[in-house]
Amino acid sequence: MADDDTPPPERGSVVVPVESTSTLRTTVTHLIESAAAGEFESIHFVVLASWRRDDPETAARNADAERLLDRVSAWADADLDDAEVEGVEIATAVVGADEYLFGPGDYAREIVTYADDHGIDSVVLDPEYTPVGNTTLLQPLAFELSNTDLVVREAPVSRPTRRERLRKEATGKRFAALFGASFAFYLLLGDPLYWFDWLTGVASAAIVAITLSRVSIDTEPSFPRTPMRVLRGLVYVPVLLFEILKSNLVVARVILDPRLPIDPTLNRVRVLVGSGLPLMTLANSITLTPGTLTVRARDGDLYVQSLIPWARDGLFDGSLERWTRFIYYGREAARLPTPRERDDVAVFQGPDATEELPLARADGGDETDRRHTDTGATRDAPTGSDADETTEVTDE
Amino acid sequence: MIETLEPVRIGLVVLFVLIGLFFTFVSMTGVIRLPDVYSRAHTASQADTLGAGFALAAVALVIGWEGAGFKSVILLFFIFVTNPTAAHAIARAAFEEGIVPWTEGDERR
Repeated sequence: MADDDTPPPERGSVVVPVESTSTLRTTVTHLIESAAAGEFESIHFVVLASWRRDDPETAARNADAERLLDRVSAWADADLDDAEVEGVEIATAVVGADEYLFGPGDYAREIVTYADDHGIDSVVLDPEYTPVGNTTLLQPLAFELSNTDLVVREAPVSRPTRRERLRKEATGKRFAALFGASFAFYLLLGDPLYWFDWLTGVASAAIVAITLSRVSIDTEPSFPRTPMRVLRGLVYVPVLLFEILKSNLVVARVILDPRLPIDPTLNRVRVLVGSGLPLMTLANSITLTPGTLTVRARDGDLYVQSLIPWARDGLFDGSLERWTRFIYYGREAARLPTPRERDDVAVFQGPDATEELPLARADGGDETDRRHTDTGATRDAPTGSDADETTEVTDE
Repeated sequence: MIETLEPVRIGLVVLFVLIGLFFTFVSMTGVIRLPDVYSRAHTASQADTLGAGFALAAVALVIGWEGAGFKSVILLFFIFVTNPTAAHAIARAAFEEGIVPWTEGDERR
């Protein structure tokens, strides 16, 4: 690109992860202004897909993403015209649809991969960008990105006031869903035929919906997906109850009979369910069935302790995972190989151990190491001699 | 209140209470017998799911389809949602503290 009048020192490219936020429009404007000031020669707007391409119902989400990107590039073009800048390239893409993205680490990795592929050296973040529902992902994402070679900065745009946020159509649907649910629950507890309960119910439900609709509902309710999920969830309840009863009996037998051995091990399963509610459902189902206990959820990896080998086998066969996929993605999505067949499992302890026990140090960072040493010093002496504590010893 | 119920229902109520008691007993035994914080968390949540579960089912049977009986079903639902969350919180806290899960052959703690 020939720059006739201004000789800028360096014109790089920038990648901007986008989603539909109230500050997206001004972020685009900011980027075009920066480009006009000679900072960037090409701007890549990307949507990071938290879904997987081969799940059912993703066509709609893909279409949404494409629509958003079309809108963004239309805005960018308009701003370019206004600023009368030439030679700034606008590109858009949907990335990361080949696997589920969980935490900020996954998002940062996708951004870095994209940047590497396209020779991009900086990232601009929309201050309202929170792709995973409404967890505050921006700061951890900025932190993860700051550990890479990319130059990161947040677009200096003013945030909207609360009222503007509520006016968003997206929030309206969530508001309605939460209001309806809490009002129905209120009447369930109270007397649906008594007018005073209707009055207080409307007031309480409104307070709940106003304060929490952005917090407690992380994906936009939509028809027919949401009712279908509720229905499939109802199908799951008796299945789960039966599983709980079955493993309760097995575990009760192991506990009551001293001859039967208790052989707990910590295991890792990489589960194929989406972030947020699906992961929570699966992790809680695993914990609810006695004999398996979810100790950590690290992105897509669940660390699950199994009390007896029987429970571990059940976990690796992944029936709960299939049921969770059935609830959230439908029947076709539930047909998939077991975690064992996918080789997504690992045992951390005991004679069958396949991986080293990743204690707190796997979190990385100085703080964890320090804390880790502290606990090591204050812990009971006998545990220090255990064979399984090689990780501890190397740490200290 | 109990006296007015028909025999089948009383039988079911007694059965449910007994099953609930059995699982609570198992859970208690487990907390004493099992070796470390993780395995105890397994069994402590048993008391909630089936122990409290069957007890509440008995309550719902005694009261029948009225307000309070219905509420005990809702109560059950909330126990099933909160119980694994609490168990996970305990296990996770232990893990973050760097406590290595007990394995066979270790000394009891």
